[in-house]
Amino acid sequence: MAASSSSSRPQMGRNAGLVLGVLVLAALPLVLGASNYLLGLFISALILAGISLAWALLGNLGGMVSFGHAAFFGVGAYASALISARLGVPVLLAIPLAGLCAALCSLAMLPALRLSGPYFALAILAYAQIFRILATEATWLTGGAAGLQRYPGLPTIFGFDLSTRTGSYVLLVLLVALCALAYVAIRRSHVGTALRAIAESEDATRVVGVNSVMLKAWMLLLSAFMTGLFGALNAHIIGFLDPDYAFSGVWSVMPIIAAIFGGYRTILGPVAGAILIYMFDQVVAKSLIAVGHQILLGILLAVMILVAPNGVLGLFKRAKGGNRHAEA
Amino acid sequence: MTDLILQALFSGVLIGSVYALVALGLALAFGAMRIINLAHGELVLLAAYMAYVVESRTGLDPYMAIPLALLAVCALSALLFLMIDRIREHRELNSLILTFAVGIILTNGLLLLFASDMRSTTSPMLQDAISFGNVYAMKGEVIAFAVSLVLMTILWWWLKKSWYGRAVRAVSSNRDAAMLMGISPVRTELVAFLAAGALASFAGIALYTMSVIQPAVGHGLTVKAFIVTVLAGVGSIPGVFLAALLLGVTEALTVTLASSALQELAGMVLFLLVLFLLPNGLFGARARRG
Repeated sequence: MAASSSSSRPQMGRNAGLVLGVLVLAALPLVLGASNYLLGLFISALILAGISLAWALLGNLGGMVSFGHAAFFGVGAYASALISARLGVPVLLAIPLAGLCAALCSLAMLPALRLSGPYFALAILAYAQIFRILATEATWLTGGAAGLQRYPGLPTIFGFDLSTRTGSYVLLVLLVALCALAYVAIRRSHVGTALRAIAESEDATRVVGVNSVMLKAWMLLLSAFMTGLFGALNAHIIGFLDPDYAFSGVWSVMPIIAAIFGGYRTILGPVAGAILIYMFDQVVAKSLIAVGHQILLGILLAVMILVAPNGVLGLFKRAKGGNRHAEA
Repeated sequence: MTDLILQALFSGVLIGSVYALVALGLALAFGAMRIINLAHGELVLLAAYMAYVVESRTGLDPYMAIPLALLAVCALSALLFLMIDRIREHRELNSLILTFAVGIILTNGLLLLFASDMRSTTSPMLQDAISFGNVYAMKGEVIAFAVSLVLMTILWWWLKKSWYGRAVRAVSSNRDAAMLMGISPVRTELVAFLAAGALASFAGIALYTMSVIQPAVGHGLTVKAFIVTVLAGVGSIPGVFLAALLLGVTEALTVTLASSALQELAGMVLFLLVLFLLPNGLFGARARRG
C-alpha cells in the first residue's frame, strides 16, 4: 500500500497538480488535431482505461482478483442498448442505468465472496462464461448470436455532438477522470482505511467490529458499476453488439494486463497502463502476429509479475524514493 | 428415449473420468502450495496436441505420445513452479495472475502453431464402437476410462503410502510442522507440481483420443476442474471422482435433452447451486474452504 499510506495535505496538492497535468495531456490530441483514426484508437484505449481502473479498485481496495470483468462490461453494453432502444430512455440516462444493471448482476456473485482468495477469482471467471452463454441463448431479449444493431448512438447536448470522434473522446476523458476522483475519495475515506486494515489482517479487522464482507461487497458493486458504464458507453460509440464481442475474454484479460503493467496499487497506473498496452497491442503486436497476438501480452504480464509486480509506476517510485514503504 | 438417456449417462461417466484426472492435478498443486494453477487446463491441452502431432506426423498411435507429453508437460510444470517460487510479495494474488499469463501464452502459442481448427483422433481402432447392451462407446473412451481408474488408484496409493506422497499431504496440512519434521517444503511442492504435470499429460492424451480439441478448450478445462473441486468440497480422491462424474453426466444429459449450446451452462448452474446451498461441497464436511 505504498501510495495510499500517507494522505497528508501536501500530497493532496500534488495530486491536484497531477490531475491538471493529466487533463492537459488529454487535451493534446484535440489541440494537435489528431486524425480520426488516431482519435478512434484513443477512444478504445480510454474505454479500456476505465475498466482497468475499475479492476484495480477491486484488486487494490477489495483485495480481490477478478478474471471476469467481461461479465460487467457485456451486461452494461446490452443493458444500455436495450434500455435506450426498447424503452426509449435518453442515452445519457440509459448509460448510468446500465451501470446499475451491471452492479445488480454483481449481486449474483456475492455468494462467491464466501470463497476466499483463489476460489473467488475462479468463481468470477465462471460467472463471466454464464453471462456470455445467457446473452447468446436469450434470443428474444438480446437478438442472440446475430447481435443487436438498431439502437440510438450518443446524442448532441448544448450543440456539442457527442457522437463525433471528438465528442466521444471528450466524454470519455471526463468519465475516466470522474471515476479516478471517486476512487481517490473512497481511498481517503473511513471506508478506505477499513479496507486497508482488512488487507493487513482480515480477522483482526473483524474483531474490532468492521464488517469486512460487506465492505468487500460494496467494492465489487462499485467496480461492476464502473465497468458497466464503460461497457454502455462503448456500445453507443460502436453501434453494434453481439455476445462474442460484448462478453469477449478480451475485456477480462486486457484490464488485468494494463493494471498490472501500470501498477494496480496506484490510480494513474491502470489508466496509463491501459493506453500504453492498447496502443502496443493494436499498433505493434497486431502487425507482428495477426492471429494470436495476445501471446506477446501474456509474456509481458508474466515478466511484469516476476520482475516488477508493482508495475512500471512502482519501479519509478522505488527508484525515486528509496524503498521507504517497502511492501510486506 | 430411455436408451438415449442411458447412453448420455454412460458417455457422461466416461468423459467425467477425464475431468477427474484434470481436477486431481489442479487439486494436488493447490494442496501443496495453496496456489491455483490457472494454466492447468492449458497443460492438459498441450499434451493433447502432442498426441495430435505424433499421430498426424508419424502415423503412430496417439498413445505413443505419452513419453513425449510426460517429458514436455512435466518440464513446463516444473518451470512454472520455479517461476511461482520466485514470487515474494502478495504470493496468492501474484501467482494467480502469473499462471493466468502462462495460460494466455500457451493458448495463443497453440493457436499460432495449429490455428483454431478442431482436431480429433483419426485412428479407426480408437473410434471403433463397443456395445454394452444398448449403450455404445468408442474404444478410445473405454481405454481412457480404464486408464483414469488406474491412475487414480496409483495416486491414492502414492499419497497414502510413499514417502513423497506423505510429504505432500504433510505440507498441505501444515507447512511449518512439516518443515520441523525434516521435510523440505520446496522440494515437496516441486514433486506435487510434477505429479500434477504427469496427471495432466495422461488427461490430455485421453482427451485427444475421445473428444475434440481446439486451442480455446484449455481455458474451459481449467474452469471444469475448478467446478469439480468446488462440487467435491474438501478433497478426497473418491469425492473428486464422483463430482467429476456428476459434472460429466450433467453435461451429457443437457446435450441429449436440451441443446449442446447449453452444455457449459449446465455445469455452471450445478456449480452455482452447490455454492448457494452446500458451500462446503457435496462431500466436504469441514468448515471453511481456501
